[in-house]
Amino acid sequence: MVELLLQNIWLIPIYGLIGAILTLPWSFGFIRRTGPRPAAYVNLLMTLLSFLHGSIAFNAIWTHPARQVMWQWLQVADLTLTLKINISPISLGALEVITGISLLVQLYALGYMEKDASLARFYGLMGLFEAALSGLAISDSLLMSYGLLEILTLSTYLLVGFWYAQPLVVTAARDAFLTKRVGDILLLMGIVALSNYGEGLDFSQLASWADDSTLPPLTATLLGLALIAGPTGKCAQFPLNLWLDEAMEGPNPAGIMRNSVVVSAGAYVLIQLQPVFTLSPVSEIVLITLGTVTAVGGSLMAIAQIDIKRTMSHSTSAYIGLVFIAVGLNHVDIALLLLFTHAIAKALLFMSVGSIILTTSNQNITEMGGLWSRMPATTTAYVVGAASLITAFPLGEFWTMRRWLDGAWPIPPWLLVILGFVNILSAMNLVRVFRLVFLGPKQPKTRRAPEVPWPMAFPLVTLTLVALLIPTVPIRWTLWLSAGAPMLQVPPPWTITWGLPILIASGVIGLLCGFWIPLQRTTARPTQMGLRFFQDLFAYDFYIEQIYKLTVMNLVASLSRLAVWCDRYIVDGVVNLVGLATIFGGNTLKYNTSGQSQFYLLTIFLGVAALFWLIFSGQWSIVTSVWSLWFAGG
Amino acid sequence: MLLSALIWIPVLGAIAIALLPQSVPNLWARRMALAIALLVLLLLIPITLGFNPDHLEAQFSEYLPWIGVLGLNYHLGLDGLSFPLVLLNGFLTLVAIFCTRAEIDRPRFYFSLILLLSAGAAGAFLAQDLLLFFLFYEVEIIPLYFLIAIWGGGRRGYAAMKFLIYTALSGILVLASFLGLVWASGAKTFDYEPLRHHSLPMEVEMALLIMLLIGLFIKIPIFPFHTWLPDAHVEASTPVSVLLAGVLLKLGTYGLIKFGVGLFFKAWIILAPGLAILATISALYGAFSAIAQQDMKKVVAYSSIAHMAYILLAAAACTPLSMTAAVFQMVSHGLISALLFVLVGVVYQKTGTRDVTILRGLLNPERGLPITGSLMIIGVMASAGLPGMVGFIAEFMVFRATFAIFTIPTLICLVGTGLTAVYFLLMVNRVFFGRLPDNLAAIPRVAFQDHLPSLVLTALLVIFGLQPAWVVRWSENQATDFVVSPELRRPTLGTAVRSPLSAPSLVAPAISPTLSSD
Amino acid sequence: MLTAPPIPFQPNINDFIARLEQGQALLHDSPENVIEVVGVLKSYGIVLDAYSRNLIYIANHQFLRLFPFFKYVNGDRSLPRLLKHWWHDRINYEYAEYCMKAMFWHGGGRLDAFLDTPEFATLAAAAIQARWRGNPAMLTLHKLFPDYLPEQVRQLCYYSALGQFWRVMSDIFIDLSDAYDHGEIHTVPDVVALILNGLVADASRPITYRVELRGQTYDILPPSQGLTFLMDTAVPYVEAVFFRGTPFPGTISYNAQAYQIPQDQDQFAYGALYADPLPIGGSGIPPTLLMQDMRHYLPDYLHAIYRDRLRQEDDLRVQICESFQKSMFCVTTAAIQGLAPHPFSTNDPTEKAANRAYLKTWLRRLQESRLSRVA
Repeated sequence: MVELLLQNIWLIPIYGLIGAILTLPWSFGFIRRTGPRPAAYVNLLMTLLSFLHGSIAFNAIWTHPARQVMWQWLQVADLTLTLKINISPISLGALEVITGISLLVQLYALGYMEKDASLARFYGLMGLFEAALSGLAISDSLLMSYGLLEILTLSTYLLVGFWYAQPLVVTAARDAFLTKRVGDILLLMGIVALSNYGEGLDFSQLASWADDSTLPPLTATLLGLALIAGPTGKCAQFPLNLWLDEAMEGPNPAGIMRNSVVVSAGAYVLIQLQPVFTLSPVSEIVLITLGTVTAVGGSLMAIAQIDIKRTMSHSTSAYIGLVFIAVGLNHVDIALLLLFTHAIAKALLFMSVGSIILTTSNQNITEMGGLWSRMPATTTAYVVGAASLITAFPLGEFWTMRRWLDGAWPIPPWLLVILGFVNILSAMNLVRVFRLVFLGPKQPKTRRAPEVPWPMAFPLVTLTLVALLIPTVPIRWTLWLSAGAPMLQVPPPWTITWGLPILIASGVIGLLCGFWIPLQRTTARPTQMGLRFFQDLFAYDFYIEQIYKLTVMNLVASLSRLAVWCDRYIVDGVVNLVGLATIFGGNTLKYNTSGQSQFYLLTIFLGVAALFWLIFSGQWSIVTSVWSLWFAGG
Repeated sequence: MLLSALIWIPVLGAIAIALLPQSVPNLWARRMALAIALLVLLLLIPITLGFNPDHLEAQFSEYLPWIGVLGLNYHLGLDGLSFPLVLLNGFLTLVAIFCTRAEIDRPRFYFSLILLLSAGAAGAFLAQDLLLFFLFYEVEIIPLYFLIAIWGGGRRGYAAMKFLIYTALSGILVLASFLGLVWASGAKTFDYEPLRHHSLPMEVEMALLIMLLIGLFIKIPIFPFHTWLPDAHVEASTPVSVLLAGVLLKLGTYGLIKFGVGLFFKAWIILAPGLAILATISALYGAFSAIAQQDMKKVVAYSSIAHMAYILLAAAACTPLSMTAAVFQMVSHGLISALLFVLVGVVYQKTGTRDVTILRGLLNPERGLPITGSLMIIGVMASAGLPGMVGFIAEFMVFRATFAIFTIPTLICLVGTGLTAVYFLLMVNRVFFGRLPDNLAAIPRVAFQDHLPSLVLTALLVIFGLQPAWVVRWSENQATDFVVSPELRRPTLGTAVRSPLSAPSLVAPAISPTLSSD
Repeated sequence: MLTAPPIPFQPNINDFIARLEQGQALLHDSPENVIEVVGVLKSYGIVLDAYSRNLIYIANHQFLRLFPFFKYVNGDRSLPRLLKHWWHDRINYEYAEYCMKAMFWHGGGRLDAFLDTPEFATLAAAAIQARWRGNPAMLTLHKLFPDYLPEQVRQLCYYSALGQFWRVMSDIFIDLSDAYDHGEIHTVPDVVALILNGLVADASRPITYRVELRGQTYDILPPSQGLTFLMDTAVPYVEAVFFRGTPFPGTISYNAQAYQIPQDQDQFAYGALYADPLPIGGSGIPPTLLMQDMRHYLPDYLHAIYRDRLRQEDDLRVQICESFQKSMFCVTTAAIQGLAPHPFSTNDPTEKAANRAYLKTWLRRLQESRLSRVA
């Protein structure tokens, strides 16, 4: 039985897909007289099934050997495409996280979306989301992962575009798709290249392939960069980070998924691709640079936001930035642990944020206050989520950092600086938001704030408990991915000895700063010019969007205008003037010559008929002599 | 007889419909046309069952001496290259007829012309004789001209004329190339297979190929011979656009492989880098032009130009995989563009406009076109190469095959694929997202049968996207045969491309005794 | 088909004031409007009846339940009923709660004020203690988060109050439909008059709330507070649901940095009189639920009219919403008439001036509403 479940683990994505397909009668409007909630229940059941199946398999995998299951998908000429899944503790663990969070989120959505008539479409998309994510978790084939990442891109587009009639959604959904698509296309280039260079497109083969690869350095670098680009877009890393901010226009339950597991999916693929990056130091440097820029920039942007969802989403980018750094340093196990602890903490924070939004009909934190004593589940979830995100004893991130700094890996000083910086800003921001939202006097919009109903409160409490339990994972983590035993340096350098204390201290400093900084209630702006400049700079995301408008978007728009102009005046113009003028004795084909069409038609027919007459009457000699002259001349 | 039936049943049907007495209600014209299209599709069943993709020679051959003095013979046959296209033609003809409203003007004439068009295309795909191919290639222009000129939009006269001049020119160039080949090689007939084994001097072959290519580029169309296509699409009615994009453009790419590669391989190899560059330019040009368009149909039309260019890229690469990919991309583009034109047609029919600056919020579930919108999203995603649908795997095969040979053009074409998402999302988000404006709030309801063709097409996109082998298996051997006869195989194509002078030595006439006896 | 854009129509306040002073309604009087208004109010009456029963049931029988799984089935837990319920072949009670929450959130009136008094705190505390007696976990939670349960009780008060309000309104609308069926209603002013009479008749009906816990009755909104139907539920309801409402996520961005939602709640204009009916049926538009409920109870004469229009059944919910908005302007007219300082038929110039000033304040608020499109 257990063996059967293990062997058929590929069914898990299929469950989600079936759930998604079963929503179609409602979302297409074939069932109109009754409401769409059965579609939601079906998806919940399917997710529950995935979760149970995954859990049993996850329990069993520890006593069973890891293995791969493979299907041949397409065999054409020299191209063989196989789909391969990997059944290992890591892939099943990832599956467990995804189906678990998805289950809680879908239950949560039952409350959050209860007054939305398009519930069926929402759950259909969530089913698709879950299917793609769980497929990614077990995929061992780069091609399959690419396909699933694209499906994720599509479902992100559709989920962000869920409220399609809302003006900002229209652009947000489009930008989310296109930004991710930029990364995806570069990734596709990498895959096409890799498929040409490599043996196959399987992650498990990549390591051995990378070991004896003889690629020239430039090619290896370009390949690495292309493969980095996909996850960069997916994980909202600089310079493809803005979509996540805009994507906050979508419904919050999708936002929970997006900020916890979806961004992680990109990083998960990145981790699997890591052997390729070892081929080129440049791609490692790029990974670290991107990660650093995003971690620092994202943290700064987060503290200037007044929108409760956006301040959290920028912090997501920042933390995934740390994952990029870890991958760049080849600290793959840590990258995975960071992803895991961040996913749980961020899911919890976003759930809490959702119940605040629903209760107060508001996302502006400057208009909030005094919620804590009326919303126990929400407040607790926020506090636990926030504590799990910063390096605070004894929660997830603390133990992950401890693993990172325990001497198994070399820790350069700059890394410590970045970790400390992100930790300070993160702590400061979380405290700032906490003070604005939960403490202080009630404001008009928070005057009546009953705790959310059970479909939302139950997942909140459950995930809070999970967040309290997950430190066991980093504590008991055996280093699955790192080759060879970790090297303990004797004596340990100062970064190891002082690393954790420094991080804890940075957390404390952040907390104190958060309590100390003056709060901005309502929309009062700081008066000092300097402060104001920086606030605007961070709040408007370093004006990256404007920069894009001026550069990339402007370039595309200009090129397209150029193409149209060229079509209209050069191509058509030349054709009209030269080509046809010679054929039709000076008559140019203008845009208003339809009256003369009979004449043209006649000419054409005459021409063709003449040609045929030449042939049919056996007058080969004329034709051939013309040809021979032509060739003699040429 | 089966192959002849594919051509002549529609022709006879066309005549029958044209001669329907006035007393018969107009409705019957559509019904009869549907019945004939369905009959053709049924005929394709025994052909599918009997077709063996492992046989490289033309199957179901029919040979009838016709005009001996010309060397013109009525020689039909089905091979792995033409088989998917013949199926596509049969299916899209049915779709096109189904999409036509029964209350159209002069239905008898209209449906006759559609059937003639379909017969012409089928004939061209089946012809195993160069002159016969040319005849069908030319014949198909005439019904299409009338279909645009009579049932077109406001500037139909201009568009029809432009189409006519361009494609007639294309026909003349193709004919000239064929005549030249027959004359120069001293062949007795225009029969295809024997002509493949000519041994012409390089310069002659080159000249003939260039002539053929320009003729076919007009048809495909490839930049800078493309401007007739957007105009023709914009003015043509929906069913005509479906056939034009889905089937008729494929005559050009079919010709590229069958005649360009098949007859002039040596010259083709030399020209290949240039062709790849041209394909790249065409792909980017189509994509950038599509971004700036405001007419939904023009967006789809320019997207057609961009996506057809990938076929040229694949054909230029000339590897077994690239040839198979080229055929697959033809099928894929045929289905996707047919779907998009059908959907744009529904939008146009219901709202009376295709202008993206006017259309807005059509996803509105009660008063908009929600199902059309949803299918449109699926359609544009397929076109943008979203995995799980046929567009992805076809393009992946193309790029995978061409990357080793034309690295830079392939990468640029990949950028073009990215741009597909740009122009289509710009269009979809403008037209379907947002609030439905009040002046669009009185859209008539859409019956289920309006959705039927697009639902079937969408299903096919997904099915073939998940099971590409179902398409690829028919043409793989045949497509491979164009490049891997032992003498023709190029060990590393890169070297052949970089040193064109060495290319001819790689090619030697491969004479197959069974075929030369024809 | 693409149609010409509608000519922008600027409602002239004075025209409407004159109309109201003559005893006319905000809604133009035409036979078709009468059919639409009466027909849609009939189905609305039936739906409100269900809403009202359920709200009162929840307030009385689901008092502080943490997991009210069966709160919408009104105590009937038979399997067929539950299956029907889970198949979503039911009234969307979520919409009733949505209105309740909007009313609770916007507040206003003496009911709202009472909930912040120490007196209420004492009453609520007694009920909370009674509800959780012998449950140390919940009592500890109550100590840690002292406002959690009282806030829930406040919300339950609104459950009850809105339920009682809708009870009256439902009866009025059903009476209206009966009167129409008996041939007593011919014009829009007839409709308004009937609604007004209903409102006046129940104006001082007391609003009270008590729960029974472990055999003992606990007063939460005691009769001694003298809360009444018209001033403490009807007026805040009109303010919260007709005028202010909450922004629909399907049309308005909640993005704080986009500043689409006003900071002050009294500037909110998302209520029933302002909402755009066209997006009904789409995502993020809560009133869709109400329209979906009403589609089941449309009288045949109205359904026939809808079926005759361009999209037939396809846009039923939008059509219902358009009629519904018309009917809400009739209810608003009745409220305007009922709350007027003096009867509109007065000839006293000072009274007339007072009336005019009163009408002006109403119509200024209605200027941006759908009035110009509907009337």
